[in-house]
Amino acid sequence: ELGYRPVLTQTPSLEGLTTASTFVLDQPRCVFGGYDNADIWLVVALDKAISTFNNTARPGTPETAFQGFPDPVPAYMTLNATLANYPCPKPAGDITVLRVGSETSCAQDEARPTCNGPLPGPGPYRVKFLALEGSEPVAETAWSAPITLRTAKSPSSISTTDSGHSAGMIAITTILSILFAILLAGLVAML
Amino acid sequence: MAKSDDCVHILQGLLVFGNVVIGMCGIALTAECIYFVSNPHGVYPLLKATENNDIYAAAWIGIFVGLALFALSILGIIGVIKASRTLLLVYIILMLITFAFEMASCITAATHRDSLTPSLFLKQMLERYQKSEPANDSDNEVTKTWDELMLQNHCCGVLGPSDWQEYTSAFRLTHKDADYPWPRKCCVLDAQGLPVNLDGCKLGVPGYYNSNGCYDAISGPVNTHAWGVAWFGFAILCWTFCVLLGTMFYWSGIEY
Repeated sequence: ELGYRPVLTQTPSLEGLTTASTFVLDQPRCVFGGYDNADIWLVVALDKAISTFNNTARPGTPETAFQGFPDPVPAYMTLNATLANYPCPKPAGDITVLRVGSETSCAQDEARPTCNGPLPGPGPYRVKFLALEGSEPVAETAWSAPITLRTAKSPSSISTTDSGHSAGMIAITTILSILFAILLAGLVAML
Repeated sequence: MAKSDDCVHILQGLLVFGNVVIGMCGIALTAECIYFVSNPHGVYPLLKATENNDIYAAAWIGIFVGLALFALSILGIIGVIKASRTLLLVYIILMLITFAFEMASCITAATHRDSLTPSLFLKQMLERYQKSEPANDSDNEVTKTWDELMLQNHCCGVLGPSDWQEYTSAFRLTHKDADYPWPRKCCVLDAQGLPVNLDGCKLGVPGYYNSNGCYDAISGPVNTHAWGVAWFGFAILCWTFCVLLGTMFYWSGIEY
């Protein structure tokens, strides 16, 4: 097991780092040195289910299909790549990220079990990279820290009645009321 | 006697001058309010959709108050020069009524301006922008206004693009979160109206999307309108107060 731990992208700072159904990881550059022939897969699992995953699971089978996640599939495999996709060293200034959850077209398509589909809930999720040669696991990273996605509130929770009064409005109201009262008093005194 | 006569003449002169200023300010107030009413700024559909038209009511009252002030100032000048008790009494009473109306207009404009908080626009945007079954024309207007606003001011949402992430919305019902974390209009667009870099926009990479909120672009014109009516009216009323006090004093000194 390699010491690398997958992590959410820190630089550059992204507004869409986590949304309601996607999150963005750094690509594993300079991590899988020497495994030129391996397929590197991303394993995504619910935080509470990581102990049920073992590395003999094979991608593209119903047991690891995205369409069955999270029930009955506890962890799915997606984002197949080779070392050529992650050249080392990373050119400075390039943005090298993986957006988990970006493929919406195959989310319901059972014929595409390795679909990188949108995540079904806020999580928390944990991910790791797994390198397979043929069907044999040859290297894996550690599980990432738990990743929680954003939950959206309903707009009816926004309170619009709480507007305070600005200083200008209070000044106008008090001063004008006082002036008007003085004028009325003057009228009464005059008559 | 000469000294008292001089004092009376000075007071008359001051009152005539005061009334001239009131007349001119009345015309200016009418002109300003006609400008606001006939030249609605681009965010008017959003205000109309809040179903609270007080700022416009305040401007309408301002038009009529301005004309009344002009007419009454002429009456006041004639009354002061002829030293006529009846004319001046009529003038004072009508001016007090006009004062009350203008006071109402200023306070209404200021109060309504205070109610136009970011939360109000946020709620309206989330509930109506790109609503799939528009209940009436104002929903379409809201969508068109927001599209133009975001395009011209290079902004997104009320406080920022995260508005679309923090809350569910009518937009979210028809556009999946993974494809549209925020509307396409929030992306930096090229000359054809297509995003320069769609993936960059969806990720939120600085430079490919508009990161600031539109509230400043909305509150700018609204503030000008509201404070233009409220503070100018307030200034006129302060001056009118002084002239009226002077007139009352002059009236009580006129012999039958």
